[in-house]
Amino acid sequence: MGWLDFILGKKTPKSSFVEAYESGFEKKISDVRPISELLFVVLDTETTGFNPKNDHIISFGAIKLKGFSMPVASGIERYLDTPVQNRESVKVHEILYPIETSPLKDFGKDMLNYIGSDIIVGHHIGFDLAMLEKTLQPFGFKKFLNPVIDTKYLAMRLEKGPHFDQSTAIKEEYALDAVCTRYGIELDDRHTAAGDAFLTAQLLMKLLKIAATKGIKDFGGLIR
Amino acid sequence: MANVIVNRVKEFLKRFPPFTFLNEASLGLVAKGVEVKYYAQGEQLFRQGDPAQDFFFVLKEGSVQLSENKDGQERVVEVCDEGDVFGVLALLGKRPYILTAKAREDSLLYAIPVSIFEKILNENSRVSLYFAAGFASGQVVVRSDLSQSQKARRDFTELSKDNGLMIFSGQSDLNYSTDVLTCMKGTTILIAVEKMAAKGVGSIVIVDQNQFPLGIITDKDIRNRLVAHQKSYDTPVEKLMTSPVMTKSKEAGFSDLYLTMIKNRLHHLIFTEDGTLKSKVTGILSDHDILLSQGNSPAVLINALMNTWEISEIAKIRNRAESLLKYYLENEVAMDFVANIISEINDIIIQRAVQLAINKHSPNNPKASKVKFCFLSMGSEGREEQLLRTDLDNAIVFEDVPIEIAEDTQAYMLLIAQEVMETLFICGFQACPANMMANNPKWCQPLSQWKHYFSDWILSPNQQALLNATIFFDYRPVFGHKKLAEELTEHIYHEIADKSIFLNFLAKNALLNPPPLGFFRNFLVEKSGEQKDKFDIKLRAMMPLADMARLLVLSHRVVGINNTFKRFEKLSELEPNYTDLLLEAGKAYEILMRMRAIEGLKSGNSGRYIHPEDLGKLQRQLLKNTFAPIDELQKIMRIRFQLDFFTS
Repeated sequence: MGWLDFILGKKTPKSSFVEAYESGFEKKISDVRPISELLFVVLDTETTGFNPKNDHIISFGAIKLKGFSMPVASGIERYLDTPVQNRESVKVHEILYPIETSPLKDFGKDMLNYIGSDIIVGHHIGFDLAMLEKTLQPFGFKKFLNPVIDTKYLAMRLEKGPHFDQSTAIKEEYALDAVCTRYGIELDDRHTAAGDAFLTAQLLMKLLKIAATKGIKDFGGLIR
Repeated sequence: MANVIVNRVKEFLKRFPPFTFLNEASLGLVAKGVEVKYYAQGEQLFRQGDPAQDFFFVLKEGSVQLSENKDGQERVVEVCDEGDVFGVLALLGKRPYILTAKAREDSLLYAIPVSIFEKILNENSRVSLYFAAGFASGQVVVRSDLSQSQKARRDFTELSKDNGLMIFSGQSDLNYSTDVLTCMKGTTILIAVEKMAAKGVGSIVIVDQNQFPLGIITDKDIRNRLVAHQKSYDTPVEKLMTSPVMTKSKEAGFSDLYLTMIKNRLHHLIFTEDGTLKSKVTGILSDHDILLSQGNSPAVLINALMNTWEISEIAKIRNRAESLLKYYLENEVAMDFVANIISEINDIIIQRAVQLAINKHSPNNPKASKVKFCFLSMGSEGREEQLLRTDLDNAIVFEDVPIEIAEDTQAYMLLIAQEVMETLFICGFQACPANMMANNPKWCQPLSQWKHYFSDWILSPNQQALLNATIFFDYRPVFGHKKLAEELTEHIYHEIADKSIFLNFLAKNALLNPPPLGFFRNFLVEKSGEQKDKFDIKLRAMMPLADMARLLVLSHRVVGINNTFKRFEKLSELEPNYTDLLLEAGKAYEILMRMRAIEGLKSGNSGRYIHPEDLGKLQRQLLKNTFAPIDELQKIMRIRFQLDFFTS
């Protein structure tokens, strides 16, 4: 969307796949649906940097989870056509060359179709969603309509209680590596989107079981 | 597909036997099929007596113990460690688990589907040998290394001899027949059949003069090879028998017997003195004997349902009912019996679900929970015809309450309904796509509103009203105050009596569905789309019969019979002029139900679309024969309800 369009209030037309995505939210998830029956999609992105404005997604990875079980075959990973290959991020993520990249439109379509109306889960997920929303903007996409769970805040809620002021948390204690180590989840393949999504999914299962012991047993309790 | 994830699983698996024997490609195939599962400390993975799940486990992280419950005593048999494989024997033998697996710590497991692994077993002789060796030594767990295994055994228990091949519970509980019906080669089939009838058995073994087995003839062979081919009753038995037969010695271990039957898809296995064909027949083992040994009888299942309030337990029992159903269908057990059993099981599940919901929500709703209500099953479940767990159609009717508490009452009823639906979803039932379920506010209403609905449908029968009628008129009270349902029924008949034109509309609707056969007596199949070239057995054959049965029952003001073939049975008494035709229509409906259920179980869906080309000649003929009464009945309806003069 150019600045002129912005001033004139012109809207980017919605692509059909965005409309299809939006139409999937007519039915709400019932508050009493038990956690074991909920459909989760756990995702992660690797980016050229940490500024949603200027940075780009390099890769996207995700896996589905239901009833404390995730089929390996449900995992996906996509490498994107990125305008800039930032040297710094290449160093962090060790993606030296794009493997097989997808054009943005194909990616957007596949991704929304894959995510559907499932509950989105990620670690520090706000950032990933902001990046994805930006990436899909040219197709008339505004924002995700899915319920969202951030494993970072879920871990805080379970460790520190529901009334904990999450802004006072020590940042390093709740980085994905730190939380996984704390919960005994083996780290490897770090810094690939799919690898991190796989780790986060294991973390989610662990957290949900702990949540159950604290009386959080259904959708209503989980989302609050 | 995410290769990063597949690779991770692969890297782990290939460190442990039997995966070490696999090449990259096979390993990749296995890794892609894995489900990663998580169990918290203390949770059970499976329980002694549970039917085998369709995957086995590899422990990724954590610790799992296998224990045996004998005479009420829990005894730990094995403790599994990283890389250990367990749950295999139950799987390959298709037998219930004889041990209970429980997570000792929070554990991550890889579940590997047997379908993928069976393929590898066939292709890779080293892997199959590996498992065979495991069988022979009676290993419960495939150990990642041997010293570990010995240590664990020493630590926990000595594996006594009678625990060899623990997954199979030994021969003692397996009753097979030692009194085998035989006849000599050269006997005519007529005499063989007479012998079978006299003894009341379904098979006869053909032997030579030394009593060595040559072949076997079963009920099915008589149908398929004799009657269907119109062969003479004087045909000698050796012309019709299945030969050679599989033989084993009685001394053979049960696992060996069982696997032989599974692998060769045998219905019967014959015992001889030394296990070869060149020795005397001493016994016969049938798949029926095995079913009985598994404890999947309706009485066992219903009893188990009545004894649990655990939703996960209820869901498991419902899955077991499905294997029972499959066995019944394959063995042509009478349809009214089968439908009765399955409906009974479904009803108990619904009753449990409602009771659980009431227990949960009534304390917080002291007032609303006093209001009387009735939970109704509708559609095929209402007709007691739902064999497969296809769409749920149901509703709630509650007594009329003062206006000031009406809103709270409905809110409470909806809460109950939602809770019931969640339970039923867990038990594998599917939601109704048209949302004709009790958790839809429209279908969760006081009696007066329900009366209003029905009056409306009867007085102004538009297309939607008639569609609703086909579902709602087959309601059946399952839980709660039946009086409410009875009052509604009374109201309906009262309305119809005043407005008989409604029946004409209903009749017209019943004849709307397209005929099953084309001009050249070929099946009319779907022309395009996903179901191209398939025959819609529900729309073209079952619905017309169900619709006509409902129509006639309403016109005769029969109350309390919902089942389509029972309706036809009743109607055959009420209409002596058409007794034969109506009985035939009922029979046809039974056959259609069976065909649909078999198709549904085979392809894991609703069974609605059948591929006529895939049916055998006999089955195809059988299906076509069911259409004759449809045709005949439709003609009668057309005249009786004056449809040719009746437009609009």
